[in-house]
Amino acid sequence: MMTWRFSTGAFLLFLLMARVPAQGKQIRATLLYDGQTTEISTADEDAGQLWITTADLKRATRFELKPQGVCRDELCFPLPKSRQSEFVRKSAGKSWFNLMAFAQLVHQPVAHDEALSTWYFGLRSDQRQNLSSLEAPNFTLADIEGTPHSLSDFRGKKILLITWASW
Amino acid sequence: MIYQQLKDKNFEIVSVAQDTNGVKDAGPWITAAHPTYTILIDEQHLVSKIYNMVNVPTGVWIDEQGKIVRPNEVAFVNNQFKDFSGLDSAPYLNALRDWIERGDKSTYVMSEERLREKLAVNDPNVILAAAEFGLGAHLYKSGHLSEAIPHFKEAQRLNPKSWNYKRQAYALSDAKRDYGTTFMDEVQKSGGSKVYYQPPDLPPDAHPKDKKP
Repeated sequence: MMTWRFSTGAFLLFLLMARVPAQGKQIRATLLYDGQTTEISTADEDAGQLWITTADLKRATRFELKPQGVCRDELCFPLPKSRQSEFVRKSAGKSWFNLMAFAQLVHQPVAHDEALSTWYFGLRSDQRQNLSSLEAPNFTLADIEGTPHSLSDFRGKKILLITWASW
Repeated sequence: MIYQQLKDKNFEIVSVAQDTNGVKDAGPWITAAHPTYTILIDEQHLVSKIYNMVNVPTGVWIDEQGKIVRPNEVAFVNNQFKDFSGLDSAPYLNALRDWIERGDKSTYVMSEERLREKLAVNDPNVILAAAEFGLGAHLYKSGHLSEAIPHFKEAQRLNPKSWNYKRQAYALSDAKRDYGTTFMDEVQKSGGSKVYYQPPDLPPDAHPKDKKP
C-alpha cells in the first residue's frame, strides 16, 4: 500500500513537472552523439533534462522533427502523442527539443560530466546487435593511411573480425 | 601467417585496434607488422561497444551473408603471448581452417539458439558503462585527464568484466597513482595470467585427419 501511494505520488509529481515547460538554467553544452562532437551555445538544463533548439538537434544528431516523429534518413522514432510536451516546446520564438527524454524513449544511455558541461549519448536500441537476424553490426573505420573501410565491403566472403590494442 | 594460407579461399581478416590515441599508439605496431590483411584503427572502441567485447584479442566469425556464426571469444592467431596466457593458438586456428573449408557444416559454427543465448545483453549497466567510457575518452582527448578518470572508473564499476575499460584507462594514466592498481596487479587478483584469458569453447574436431598442422 505504501509503495502504491509513493509511486502514484511520484508519478503525479512527474506529470506536473513534465507539463510545466519551466525554464531551467541556460548553459553552453558539448554533445557527443554518434561519434560526433558538437558545441551548443545555448542549451537549457532543467531538472536533469536537456533542451536544445531543433536547429541544434539537426546539427548535433542529424535527427529532425517531422510530423511522423524524430527522423533521420529512413529511421523514424514516433513521439507518444500524449507526451508531446515532454519532448517539444516553444520558447523565445524557437522550437526546443528534450534530448534526455528522447534518449529514454530510444533506450539510449547517457553519461554526463557536470563540470565540463558535456553529454555523451551512447548506442540507441537500433544500433545494438540485432538478435533476430544475427546480423553482424556494420561499422566504418579508417586504416593507417586514413582510407575508410566498412565491414560490409567484405560481404560475400568469410570474415574473421578480430580486435587488438597497443596497451 | 594464417591469412597467407587462407586468403585464396574467399576469406578476409579485419583486424581492429582499440586505441584511444589512435595512430599515435597503434601505428608503430601496424607499421612493424607489414600487414597484407585489413587493419583498422578504432579510437572510440566502437567495435568493442557494438559487439559487447570485453578484452583483446577478441574474435568473431562472420559468414558470406554477414551473419555471425561464432560470437566473441578469445582469439589468438599466433603464439606471441603464449607465455603470458598459457594458450596455444593451434586449436583456434584449426577451428578457423575447418570453418573456411566446410562453411555451415563445420562443427565450429554455432547453432542459432546458442548464438542468441551468447549475444543477448540485457544488463543496462553494460550499455551505460560504454557511454561512461566514451565520455571519459573524450574528456581525456580534450586535455582533461583528471575529469576523465571518474568516468573511466564508473565504466569499470558498471561493467567489471571489461578488461578493455581497465587496461585502456590505465594506459592513459599513471595507473598506480590514479587507480591504485596496475594491470598486472589486477591479473593477479583475477587468479593469474593463466586464467585471465578464458580459452575458446571449441567442440572436438570432427575431421582431425584432413588438416595439416
